[in-house]
Amino acid sequence: MKEQDEALKALLQRAAPGPADRELKHDLWPEMCRRLERPPVRIPWGDWVLAAAFLLCLILFPMTIPAVLYLL
Amino acid sequence: MTEIVEPELERFTRGDISAFEALFREYQGQVYRWIIQIVHDSGVAEDLTIETFWRIYRARTRFDPRRSFAAWARRIATNLALEHLSRRPPEKLLDNGFPIPAPAAGTPDPAISADICVKVLAALEELPAKLRVAVTLAMIEERPYAEIADALGISTNGVKSRVFRAIRLLRKNLEKRGVRS
Repeated sequence: MKEQDEALKALLQRAAPGPADRELKHDLWPEMCRRLERPPVRIPWGDWVLAAAFLLCLILFPMTIPAVLYLL
Repeated sequence: MTEIVEPELERFTRGDISAFEALFREYQGQVYRWIIQIVHDSGVAEDLTIETFWRIYRARTRFDPRRSFAAWARRIATNLALEHLSRRPPEKLLDNGFPIPAPAAGTPDPAISADICVKVLAALEELPAKLRVAVTLAMIEERPYAEIADALGISTNGVKSRVFRAIRLLRKNLEKRGVRS
């Protein structure tokens, strides 16, 4: 079993060695700064209203749940 | 590598951007190298490195400065790499993921042809992401079980179990493709 595992390991290492060069080529800080400056995603209030209405429908009419699940 | 000192980490947890920059510059290479050995794609590894530090910055108040920043970063990076592998469509791997190596010249038994490499990659791709990460780190990258366990947030026995299941599944997948391992 151990020998078979070693053979499989050799096969994997040969087939999927990954990139030879694993060093980061450039500083990622400028990109990080852009990411930090990006405004957070805000969900419009209309979407919250729709979600609340949908939930309310499910609570008031639980028989619709299977139909909703089917459509998903 | 010099470990960032505790006062710097404390300033980072309070939201000091210069402390975060120092941490970023110190650890970006380490995080990138950890991710690339899982995803095997430099572009994806860069994106995931940025995303890792973005999550680190957002979760800064939950970080205990007495603990290892590198280990924390590695765990977040591993989770992101796992998410990426789970979302990725299967054919992507053969497009630009793992390069298909040519058989080494002068090898007495050139049994591992390009065709077998493709089959091995396809068998690996078929594994669930969690098992694929475990087997990649343990068998291809030969990382210690304790380090993998720490990065995955599971016990060493948990890693051994995942590697064992991955090997069993891989053998099955390879047999299906006519490759005996």
